[in-house]
Parts: sequence; structure tokens; C-alpha cells
Amino acid sequence: MDFMHRALSAIFPVIAAFILAAALFALTGYDLYEVTAGVIEGAITGYGSFWSTLRWAMPLLLIALGVMFALRAAEFNIGGQGQMMIGGLGCVAVALLVPGPAWLVMPLAVLTGMLFGTLWSLLPGILKIRYGADEVILTLMLNFIAVLFVSWVTTGPLKDPAVRGESASTPKVDEALRLSGGDGMSWALLIMLVVAALVAWLIAERTKTGLQMRFVGEAEKAARWQGINVDRLKLISYALAGLFAGLAGAFEVLGPNGRLVTGATPTIGFTAIVVTIVGLSRVPGIVFAALLFGGLQAAVLFLPIVSDLPSSGLKILEGIIAILVTAELIRRRRAG
Amino acid sequence: MDFLDQFTITTLRASTPIILAAVAGLFSIRAGIFHLGIEGLMLAGAFAAVAAGTASGSVWIGLLVAIAVCLILSVLYWVVIDRLKADAVIAGLGLTALCVGGTAFAMQVIFGRRGQMGSEVRLPRPVTGPQEGILGYVSELTIITWATPILILLAWIVLRRSRLGLQIAAVGDYPYGAEASGVNQSMVRLKALLITGFGCAIAGTQLAVGDVAGFSENMTNGRGFFALAAVLFGGFSAVYTALAGLFFGFADAFGIAMQLFDQSGLPTQFVLMAPFVLTIIIVTISGAVKKKRGTS
Repeated sequence: MDFMHRALSAIFPVIAAFILAAALFALTGYDLYEVTAGVIEGAITGYGSFWSTLRWAMPLLLIALGVMFALRAAEFNIGGQGQMMIGGLGCVAVALLVPGPAWLVMPLAVLTGMLFGTLWSLLPGILKIRYGADEVILTLMLNFIAVLFVSWVTTGPLKDPAVRGESASTPKVDEALRLSGGDGMSWALLIMLVVAALVAWLIAERTKTGLQMRFVGEAEKAARWQGINVDRLKLISYALAGLFAGLAGAFEVLGPNGRLVTGATPTIGFTAIVVTIVGLSRVPGIVFAALLFGGLQAAVLFLPIVSDLPSSGLKILEGIIAILVTAELIRRRRAG
Repeated sequence: MDFLDQFTITTLRASTPIILAAVAGLFSIRAGIFHLGIEGLMLAGAFAAVAAGTASGSVWIGLLVAIAVCLILSVLYWVVIDRLKADAVIAGLGLTALCVGGTAFAMQVIFGRRGQMGSEVRLPRPVTGPQEGILGYVSELTIITWATPILILLAWIVLRRSRLGLQIAAVGDYPYGAEASGVNQSMVRLKALLITGFGCAIAGTQLAVGDVAGFSENMTNGRGFFALAAVLFGGFSAVYTALAGLFFGFADAFGIAMQLFDQSGLPTQFVLMAPFVLTIIIVTISGAVKKKRGTS
């Protein structure tokens, strides 16, 4: 019963948001049938559409898996955006600067991305746990710093020399290091995504650390009385959040983008938080939610071909879902 | 205009919307609501001011419609977080996303424009100062920039010297104590949110029809979040919050000046980072102090 209640309370806002958005589109004179058909074609049935859905679900899924650990430990780590960018930075630096055979450099680049993401997340984690600083502000500020830092790297030290003017991107990494082509998805990436989801599930549901983390999030005081090292578990939740976001950044660099680009995906960290909550902070739910939002993103890019509905229409939908998704859903959190 | 004039005017231009949004946001944060929707409210205000101003031909109608839109959105946000008990952070980010999408959508539906649109009206610049010399910049300032110090003073009076200000602080610091002494928490939060919405509308109006005379998608570009940082930086005082907002504007102007007259080779990105780094330091210090006192 409890699970049903939770599932319904996550699905209901999504349905309500779809209805509200549909009403808005209908009132402003758009052909709902055309839009719906366009969304379905762009996300699922069209040529290459589902591949595109998977491409956009990939970073959402990875960041959301990280956010899951943070939320389970009741830590509001909204720094996924920055952790992903810094992860991408670590990855691209290795891919561009370290000589060696591809079979060695590629895993090294991915691991460096994960490491950079982890460190970028541990910084607010330590400041929060050691000094009690507010983690929402810390991670929000670190997102801005990460954007500026990557903007400096892509216009300065690692600027693509082939592009004149104010290019904000690094050169392309070597083709041999790429995990996918320009369409963004490949079987190799897909398999790694499945492995990442399984690993996240194992850590969360089948290890002592994962289960204790949830205990800490739900009843911190009780956990302390039980002699659980709360600070250590919270710190692990930060590390895991950064690890998965860093992996997302690395996959973006070696996968679809092939380079580090400034401002390529400006709100993905936020969408990933919504994905986590719609997915009830559980791995299977997060997979479904990531596919839903990935599909919407794919549809946004496809829609202009078949309908005159602006892509901002689907941003509205995402906003409404976010506004409603925690409504009446009892996840108490923060006051000032 | 010489360099110093240019620098002063850029600082004041860049900081006015941030100061207004920050001082407005102070009310919500003081009431215990970490209002990440400020960014979206500013954007909605900016669009409403351009849209209604252009449609009616009057900048004042633009301002009024901007205020109306932001107040309605604030009530909506209040319903969701207070009545429906939604998470204020998530719903606030959602509100911002809704406004980013909604303004772009409305611009296309109403005006058939993508990306950006110009404004037919602009805010008046009431003071025609000397065209040259050290005060040459004053004739560039809009009426909202001139009104900003008065609004800051008003905010300070309301927060420090009025019943509502005390209630807001009580609800933020000791919600149960406030409730026990007969303060209606919900209503106080609503009032705080409405004040925030009001200020964001003015901030958005200044942004869109003050200096640039036009609206472009996502033109707030993080200013709402800077405003929140200014609130924390300002340690819950209206005056210090405004000074922190001024500092953000200064950093912005400094960044632009660096780009124009780059001598040292210090990248502008690092100059722009300074306020964020400082915010992190301040938040950490204030957290540590609270922790030591055992109140956190």
C-alpha cells in the first residue's frame, strides 16, 4: 500500500502536468493531435528517435543515480551540473593531453572524469559536514564556478586552435577514444549505462553502506544513537553523487560531444533532480523517469520538423512537473 | 564619458536588478523559504514589462502588469509550498523553469518572435545632469535606479521596525514559537513571498526596459541566483544585502572593464568567480559560527 501510494504520488504530478500543458497548447491554438504525434515520433517511433531518447536519457540517468544517494542521505546536493562539467573537464584533459594507446587512455580519461566529479562534490560535502554550511548554496555556487572555470579552459588553455574568435570548446578528442559517434549512442555506451545502473542498485540496496545511508536520511538521530558513523555516510553520499555526475560528464565528452563544450547542456543538473524525485529515489523508477525526460528532450529537438510548437512548450511541461512533484509528497526538508 | 564614468554607470546598471531582487528575496529567506524561483520571477517580470509596455505604449502599464504577473506567480508558489507542502527548493527551481519556458513560449505565441524582441518603451531617466565631467553618468540612470535607495530604506524599515518584519523573522527563526504566540505562519509566508514577487517585478522591469530596451530568452542569466547569494552574503540585513548586490554589479563591471582594457592577463572568468567564492567562504564561516553556538 505504501509503495502504491508513493508511486501514485509521483505519477500524478506528471499526468497533471501533461494535462495542464496540453490545455495551454490547445488554448493557444496548437493542434494537439499533431503535437502528440510529433512527440511520439520524435521520442520513440521515428527513425533513430529511440536512439536519440537514449542519448538524452544517458546524462540524466547517471546524474540522477548520484542525486539518489544524496537524497537518501537527506543531503540536498544540487551540484550535479557542476560535477558533470568538472568531470568532463578531467576527462577531456586526459583524452587530449595524455599520450598512449587508446585502450589505456580511454579508461584513464573516464576514471579521471569520475575522480574530478567526486572531488568537486566532496568539497561542499566536507564544508557542510565539518562546518555546517548550507549545502544548497554551496553546490549552487560551485555550479557557477564550474561553468566559469570550464568557460576559461575552453577559451584559454584548451581552446580549439582551429576555430577562430571566441570559440568556447576544446578540440575534438581522438576518434579512437570515442565511445559513440555524433548521433550520441552506441551499444558500448548502452551496456556501460546498464552496468552503472546495476552498480548503483547494488550499492543502494545490497550493501550495508547503502542501507545505512537510507537510515541516516530517514532518522538521523536514531542512526547516531545506533552508533552509525553518520558523517562518514553523508560524505560517501557526496562522493557517489559526484562520481556518477563525473561519469556523465566523461560520457558526454567521449560520446555524443567528442569535446568539452561550454554551456552545451545548461539545465541538465536540475532536470536530473526532477528525474530522481519522479523516480522515487529508486533505481528502477529513475531509469523510467530518465527515459521519460530523455524522450521529451529528444522530442524537443525533433518537434520543429513536424509542428510549429516551440520547444519552450516542453520546458513549461518540465517546470510544471517540478513544481508539483513534491507537492503533498512527504519529503520534509529545510527551513532557511 | 571617460573611463571612470563608464565604470560607474556599468556598475550601477548591472547591480540595480540584482540589488532589487536581493532585497526582495531577503523577505522570503528571512521567513525561512529558500526561494529559488526568484530567477524565474525576474524573468517573468522582464517579459511582462516589455510585452505590456509595447502593447499599451506606456512603460508604467508595463511595470504594473509585471507586478501583477509576479504577484500571481508568487501566490501560486505559496499555494504549492504552503498548502500542498511541496519542497520549496524543488518547486522554486520548477517555478524558474516554468518562467524560462513560459516567457519564450508567450513571446512566440503573442508576438511571433523567437529568441528576442525589442521594446517600444523605456523607463524615463529623470535627471539630466551634466553631459561631461565626473557626474556625467547621472543622466544615464533610470528612475528605478534612483528609487532603489528609497526601496532599500523601506525594506529595512519593514524588516526592522514593523510588526510584519518581526513576524517574518519569528516565522523564519522559530516557526513553532511564532505559531504558539498566535502568529499565522501561512499568512506571514504569503506576505513575505508577495513582497519578494513585487521586488522581482521591479528588478525585471529595470532589466528589460531600463537599459537594454528589449527581452531575450533567459535574459536574467543567473541574476536571481546572484541575488540569493547577496542575501546570504549580506547576513540578513537589507542594507548589507544591497551592498552585496552592489558588489556583484561591481564584479560584473570589473569583468567588462578587464575585457576592454586587459593588461594583466587575468582571465575575466576568475574575476567573475570572486563573488561565488566569497559566498562559499561566508556561508562556511557563518555555518561554523552557528555550529559552535550550537544553534544549527
